[in-house]
Amino acid sequence: MSSSTPSCFLLNTAMSKAKTQQPAVIHKVIMVGSGGVGKSALTLQFMYDEFVEDYEPTKADSYRKKVVLDGEEVQIDILDTAGQEDYAAIRDNYFRSGEGFLCVFSIKEQESFQATQDFREQILRVKNDENIPFLLVGNMVDLAEQRQVSVDEATKRAQEWKVSYVETSAKTRANVDKVFYDLMREIRSRKMEASRQNNGKQKKKKDSRKKKCVIL
Amino acid sequence: MSKQQLQQTLFLPNDERLITMIPVSKMPRKTNLKKRSSLLCVVLNTVEIPVKVYIYHVKKSDRGDGFKKKMAWLLRDLRMLDGRSADKDTSEFDLHFEKTYKWSASSLEEKETFISSLWRLSHRFLIQKPEFVNIPQRLLEEIKDPHSLGEKAKSVDDISMEGEDYQALSGKEEADLELLMSECQVAISNAEAFTEQLSKQLSVLDGANIHSIMGSEDQVLNLMRLLDDGIREAEMIEDKLDTYDKMLANVKEQMEVMRDKDTLMTVRNTNHQRLLDELQNLVDHLDFDLKYTQALMDGDLTSPAGIVECTQAAQALHSCMNAQIHPSLQRTRAVEEQQKHFKKLAIHFSKRLSHHLNNLFIHQGNEIGETLSRYAGDLKMPQHNSIHKELVIYADLMLWLKNTDETSFHKLSAVYMSNLCKLYTREVMEFMESAKQKLVTTKETKGKHHGASTLSRLTGSTTSLTKIDHRGRSGSIQSVDSSSIKYGSDLDIAMRSVFDSVLEKVLSELERVCIAEQDFCFKFFHLIDKSSGVDDDQKKEKEASGEAASGDGDADVWVAKQTYSASEGQYITENLGEGLMQTRATVTLEMRQINDQVRSMMAELFPQLEQELDQFLTHADRQDGMYSMYMLVRMSQHVINNQDMGSFLGKTFGNCLIKVKRNFDRYVDVMMQSVRETKVSKKNRCGIISFVHNFEEFANLAENIFRGSDRHADLDKAYSKVVRIIFEQIMRVAQEHQKTPKEVVLMENFHRMYSVLSHLKNPCLENDRKEAKQRYTENLKAYTVNLLGRPLEKLHTFFEGVEARVATGVKPEEVGFQLAYSKQELRKVIKEYPGKEVKKNLEHLNKKVEKQLCEEENLIQVVWHEMQDVFIQQYKYYDELMRRCYPDSNITLEFTMQNVLQFFSDIAQAH
Repeated sequence: MSSSTPSCFLLNTAMSKAKTQQPAVIHKVIMVGSGGVGKSALTLQFMYDEFVEDYEPTKADSYRKKVVLDGEEVQIDILDTAGQEDYAAIRDNYFRSGEGFLCVFSIKEQESFQATQDFREQILRVKNDENIPFLLVGNMVDLAEQRQVSVDEATKRAQEWKVSYVETSAKTRANVDKVFYDLMREIRSRKMEASRQNNGKQKKKKDSRKKKCVIL
Repeated sequence: MSKQQLQQTLFLPNDERLITMIPVSKMPRKTNLKKRSSLLCVVLNTVEIPVKVYIYHVKKSDRGDGFKKKMAWLLRDLRMLDGRSADKDTSEFDLHFEKTYKWSASSLEEKETFISSLWRLSHRFLIQKPEFVNIPQRLLEEIKDPHSLGEKAKSVDDISMEGEDYQALSGKEEADLELLMSECQVAISNAEAFTEQLSKQLSVLDGANIHSIMGSEDQVLNLMRLLDDGIREAEMIEDKLDTYDKMLANVKEQMEVMRDKDTLMTVRNTNHQRLLDELQNLVDHLDFDLKYTQALMDGDLTSPAGIVECTQAAQALHSCMNAQIHPSLQRTRAVEEQQKHFKKLAIHFSKRLSHHLNNLFIHQGNEIGETLSRYAGDLKMPQHNSIHKELVIYADLMLWLKNTDETSFHKLSAVYMSNLCKLYTREVMEFMESAKQKLVTTKETKGKHHGASTLSRLTGSTTSLTKIDHRGRSGSIQSVDSSSIKYGSDLDIAMRSVFDSVLEKVLSELERVCIAEQDFCFKFFHLIDKSSGVDDDQKKEKEASGEAASGDGDADVWVAKQTYSASEGQYITENLGEGLMQTRATVTLEMRQINDQVRSMMAELFPQLEQELDQFLTHADRQDGMYSMYMLVRMSQHVINNQDMGSFLGKTFGNCLIKVKRNFDRYVDVMMQSVRETKVSKKNRCGIISFVHNFEEFANLAENIFRGSDRHADLDKAYSKVVRIIFEQIMRVAQEHQKTPKEVVLMENFHRMYSVLSHLKNPCLENDRKEAKQRYTENLKAYTVNLLGRPLEKLHTFFEGVEARVATGVKPEEVGFQLAYSKQELRKVIKEYPGKEVKKNLEHLNKKVEKQLCEEENLIQVVWHEMQDVFIQQYKYYDELMRRCYPDSNITLEFTMQNVLQFFSDIAQAH
């Protein structure tokens, strides 16, 4: 992935920037949750420091940003997804591509909180991984007076899933950076763990992958 | 009815007294009227003051015998009484009030009585008398003499009154009378005796009276004597007073003489005093200390103390020469001689001074030149502080010279300028040279540091080449960027920051030197009229120079500048911040007073400055177009710092700024040209086009450079121009590209542009941002729809045909009866797409998407999501179309919705 950019500068005389321009590490984050809970708002606030009041349902959009994560320059790819979908199976493909998930619900809408259960299950099924980096996010904390989902309730569920629960406000930017950075840290540690394990059994994994392809 | 009766009934109640009454009848007589007795009464009202006379017309009342006042006039209002005729006897007469009333008396006598009564009354009570005409003279003559007339009238009145009126005794009289009578018991019984008694008493009283009159005679005589005495005394006093008066008159004369003398003396004294003062003044003004003369003749002009002495002497001389002396005094010989002497002194001293300073300038110009090399290593302009310090002590002498000997002053300035000009030209040249050198050396050292050959350009290209070799895939997206635009490699960034600091150094050094020199010239050559001095020094000078040069109109300029500076002053101090500039902030106050003289002097001193600076900027620009951005920002900042002074430097920087702006514009043009000329490799997929990447880098860098600069507007303009071109060129590349579908190129590149523009958050580019987003969305849809035709192509064509039929007006149920779209045909088509086939097609589609899209933009998921969505929609649509057009045929697609979703899941799992 990191290789494509610098090639554009091929014939520039003093070009040598390649590596510095494109951070080697990319973390792929997927925003999931019911419609209207503020996935796009969180994304836009994180990306451009802006809050868009008007609601317009997203289909799917991809964002990319360079950030410094604990002193290391990394790139975060955010896939902002549709909350309203007739068929859950459509999501399989992008769930598959994600390395970490921000599962967002609105604290003033019990239904959206209940829906997180389905999202969680689907993600686990698709990723086939109990420990996938995952954050439960209760958004719209700036409208706390309309709260329907209690902190206890949400915390309890997060504990069941062994994930963290964070409350955010895309409007006031409260905890917005935190959820993205926390998730990236989880992704990073997962990757380091995986590479340690992979050192031994790289070949085996390749084989298993190939087998799958044959089946399809 | 009698007069008495009338008085009683009609007038007494109102305190009026009836004087005359005559029976009358109104003229002309109305015969048909019942004749009623009618009277005219003249009545005196004594209650009102002044007394008023009324004339009443009284008539007998309708009922009974009583009379009634019919009309009333004031005698005062009577304008004329017309007796009709003075000779003929007639009983008629007219009364002229407001109106004229005609009357007829019953007899002539009565008429005359009435008239004479009115005549009398009017003479007695009225100031403005009515006119009496046509009346016999005798009636009016009766009372010719007003005085006697009054008496007569009165007596007549009284008699007439007494005869008819009873007047009661007053209360007091009554009491007196009673007392008198009671004293005399017999009074009542015997009036005679009483009378006798009374007369007796009277005679006694008379006697006593006479007696006492006679007794007082002596006393009267006495009194007379006393009076005589008094008169005599008074006469004596009068005589004495006269004597005194005479004496006083004498004294007065003498006093007058004395006063005249005194006035004369005072005038003489004042004149003497004035003369003395004038003389003293003259001597004070023209007295010139010997030590001053000595100082001027051969005072030491090299040591500070000697200079101070000379300065004092010169100032004294100046004040002596320009002393305010009455024109007539100027003509006195002493003054003339003294002035001549002064002039000689002045000429001598000015010669000496010019000579000395002349040598000094030349000497200093050369001396500094020798020490110049010392600065070559460091990027710094030589300090001229020491020269300035050395020279500035002559400043007051220069002022003197300016005031006394203008020509040698100008000669001297010319010498200074020509010497220093040489010096500065050399210095500036060397400085610029070393700055250029610095740029090259940094480049070289950096280049070496990077670990390649000496030439940095070569280094850059080789490194990037090696990198390309290392990177397998990157070769696949080769693109040609012919321009020299380059952004942010390590080397470049370092070099640019060096350039930025060198540039800043160059500008601030030039600024420092120029301002120091300007400040010095300003002080030394007294280019400005300091009539409203700012600090003590200036005040002193002002006192020394007296009237100064008020005629040259600088004062106005200065005032204008000062008001201008007041508003600008704060801005400067706050803006500059840095140490160097802050120290200057105090100087700037004076610096405002720059006028044309200073500017032209500075221009002579630094003839090469603009050219050299220009060369430097051009040199830098040739090295890297990107530098123009730094130059634009830095230069404009310095121009702002200097513009308020309207100085030479401000002008020079301003000119350079214009050039820099041109360079920047050219840089942008070059960039746009390179975008236009960009060629994209045909062999590989397109991905993000190089100039889109370049723009992102450019934007990042430019934002860094221009942050907080007031030149951001220029950048904004450049942005929108470049963005326009980029949009245009993305479309061109998309058209030209053979390997990647047009939609993909557009979608990916506009998505990236949208992201870049969102990051910039520049309001000027808001429309472009929206456009990018819109184009991205449009092409995403177009791409999806185009691609989706493929997996079920025949099915797709079939249903398109069905749809077309329905659209042309064929009833949905009847489409099946057309040969090409019969149930048979449908079954045939459907058979071609069993679930397995569909799945294979979908997998193929997924791979294709993956192949066509570049990973960098990460739109695969987005596109695939869209594809799934559209596919499901299509499925549903076919299903619905079949139900509508082929009802009851029990034909369905060979795969279910459930199958489709399963396919999607399987594809997802395959990754």
